[in-house]
Amino acid sequence: MMPSAQRASHDAHVLIVGGGGTGGALAHDLALRGVRVTLVERGEFTSGTTGRHHGLLHSGARYAVNDHESAVECIEENRILRAIAPGSFEENDGLFVAIDDEDMAYLPGFLEGCESSGIPAEQLTPQQALRLEPMLNPNLKAAVRVPDATMDAMRMPLRFFATAKRNGASLLNHLEVTGLLIHDDVVSGAAVHDHVTGRDAEIHADLTVNATGPWSEQVATMAGVDVPIRPSPGVLLALRGRMCNMVINHLHASGDGDIVVPQRALSIVGTSSWVVEDPDDLGVPDDHVARMVTEGSKLIPAVATATHRAAWSAARPLIGSRGDADSGRELSRTFKTIDHAAEGGAEGFVTITGGKGTTLRGMAEVCADVVCRKLGVDEPCRTRETVLLPHVAYFAA
Amino acid sequence: MVTLDPAPGGANEAEDPTAGTADGAITRDFRVFRFARDGGPSRFDTFEAEVEPTSTVLDALRWIKVHRDPSLAIRHSCFHASCGTCGVRVNGREGLACVTRLADLEHGRVTVEPMANFPVVADLVVDMTSFSERFPPAHPMDRASEFPRSADLPSGVDEYERFEDCIECGLCLSACPVSATDDSYVGPAALAYAQRMLEEPRGSDIGAILDWADGDNAAWRCHAAFECTEACPSNVRPAQRIMHLRRALTSRRGGGS
Amino acid sequence: MSRPPADDLDDIQAARDARGPVLRKSPGPTAWFDIRKRSTGHWAFSLNRITSLGLVFYLYLHLAVLSMLLGGKDSWNGFLDIATQPLFLGFDVLLIFGLLFHGLNGLRVALVGSGVAPDHQKALFWSFMVFGAILLLGAALHIAGSG
Repeated sequence: MMPSAQRASHDAHVLIVGGGGTGGALAHDLALRGVRVTLVERGEFTSGTTGRHHGLLHSGARYAVNDHESAVECIEENRILRAIAPGSFEENDGLFVAIDDEDMAYLPGFLEGCESSGIPAEQLTPQQALRLEPMLNPNLKAAVRVPDATMDAMRMPLRFFATAKRNGASLLNHLEVTGLLIHDDVVSGAAVHDHVTGRDAEIHADLTVNATGPWSEQVATMAGVDVPIRPSPGVLLALRGRMCNMVINHLHASGDGDIVVPQRALSIVGTSSWVVEDPDDLGVPDDHVARMVTEGSKLIPAVATATHRAAWSAARPLIGSRGDADSGRELSRTFKTIDHAAEGGAEGFVTITGGKGTTLRGMAEVCADVVCRKLGVDEPCRTRETVLLPHVAYFAA
Repeated sequence: MVTLDPAPGGANEAEDPTAGTADGAITRDFRVFRFARDGGPSRFDTFEAEVEPTSTVLDALRWIKVHRDPSLAIRHSCFHASCGTCGVRVNGREGLACVTRLADLEHGRVTVEPMANFPVVADLVVDMTSFSERFPPAHPMDRASEFPRSADLPSGVDEYERFEDCIECGLCLSACPVSATDDSYVGPAALAYAQRMLEEPRGSDIGAILDWADGDNAAWRCHAAFECTEACPSNVRPAQRIMHLRRALTSRRGGGS
Repeated sequence: MSRPPADDLDDIQAARDARGPVLRKSPGPTAWFDIRKRSTGHWAFSLNRITSLGLVFYLYLHLAVLSMLLGGKDSWNGFLDIATQPLFLGFDVLLIFGLLFHGLNGLRVALVGSGVAPDHQKALFWSFMVFGAILLLGAALHIAGSG
């Protein structure tokens, strides 16, 4: 833990555009490496996609069959986050529940996938599962216990912001990037508009990072480069009543409404998927909401009659395939750090995108490595072992 | 590769299911508090927003921000009454914008103002710094889960846990007439949290918390208006908890532990 | 890479600090009496304050009236003529309302405030008010009958 008012030990200044979990984790990582960081967010931190998800801390089991890399990433980050953010998770584990014969056919491959990905998985009898979670569908055929957990989708990432701020990062919300400062294909910062004072200003930086999630393409366009991001929203439904303590997943190849996540005294059923052009205009289709109820009640029958507290949409940054035109820092297909200079695009501009709530720290590590390499900063990542400040520290004057 | 959850194999991946759904859209008038940019007095702006029958106040505010006035400053994050960032006053009454349904409001123009008793940063955005400083020395987010009743626990799990009901939204402070009178009163949320610590100590120093609650600006300044409990969106029942806290303080003074 | 100037960042922060976050003019004690959109507990709270002001005013009024005794029998009898007028008797009923409300609600606040039945504060309020209304009606009839 560094003393407060830590001065950056390197001259370089990094501007992060986007105050979601990724931006916050990146600010934290860079601040620990002594890099001077400014993060700007047009609204409230985590108001984009990060705060809206159901709060699942992935065990990775969902990807055990089809995406080994994602699965391994998830379980590793799952363990790290529990260690660096203690007290921010409902650590009750999760169940993958088989309802019909098709689900049962999926089971062996699932167990195998978990094993080869290093995800602890324990098969339970229906009776055992019902004793753990009395509100499950009594006709379930099998259940597998995995180390899922629940997080507060806003407060857990806020700990990264709190720690970064304590370590000298400048975090400015309600400050919107209106354009990038770019000359001769070199990005040197951003033009911003302050929603608090109504004034315009410029922020100069040696490197600008685009961490805007589903808005990545809009920001990349300002630099004259392309990122293959399409906003892909999904519907989530919050029901009154806590119907489970463990995260309940449907044991099958992924589909709509196949997860129920407890959040305080609510139960969140998710999710669905479609593609839009504008991440600011998502909509909440009624038939998707109805599908959440139908599918969710297969897992927990009480879903069918529970009162609706809220129905909303959140946009994932969906990475389209675009060949091999990425720099060598691409860790996996799950998220991408794109060094635009490496492909003949703008210098001084990097995009970090993709990923999921669970992998925010890991994404930030990869991106911070790229950033530091470009800036000639030779510092290791310290975020795996640095325990984060509590979220309330963010508000401390 | 996809992110929050993998995309399903379903046929709707390419289609936008919201395209062309203009039926059901209606307009509604909103009168929104604006805090001056130029150091001048605050004002109210009127907007006509296009909303759906199931829209919430937050949906309308975001529509206004996207389609009418991008300079409108608002706070939000989770959209499901869990993060506590979107607290506002709608038609004079405290509520979370994300779960305040327009259909539940009386007909006519909807007035939206920031929470009372908080410093205003811009428009509907308030400064939560002093709110977070009021809490007692220890206030962990984790607590024991009291439902549903399970016969067993997974091996390695000592008890099912969940987060505290309090989402630190500040609506209770906004509704409290004592807080309106005097900013030094610690307020309902902080006191409710202290009482929760008594109920479930979680290793904290109960004596220190009771000392804190016995202070000049704490449990004894409540005047039983009960507006905090009315305003709370998360069933914390702060007023009742303050009364229970007083009982604990009284019995402590009387020689009980 | 030379380090670009960071002037604008300081400007942004300075501009924000210059305007502060602003506490809107605090309503102060007027918030006590603003019952718009408020609920049972707040009405009881507001009315408790109004009746307390009324009762304090009445106390001084009562002392002032009693001081008429210093003026002898005639002065006092003159007062009694006024005191038996219907309008004055009407004020008496209002006074009894104030006493009953303040006393009974005060009892409720004392109970609830000591941790006795705080979950039933609304039920306590209404049952006390019903009881008080019965007493008030009895008093009013008695006063009307004696006039």
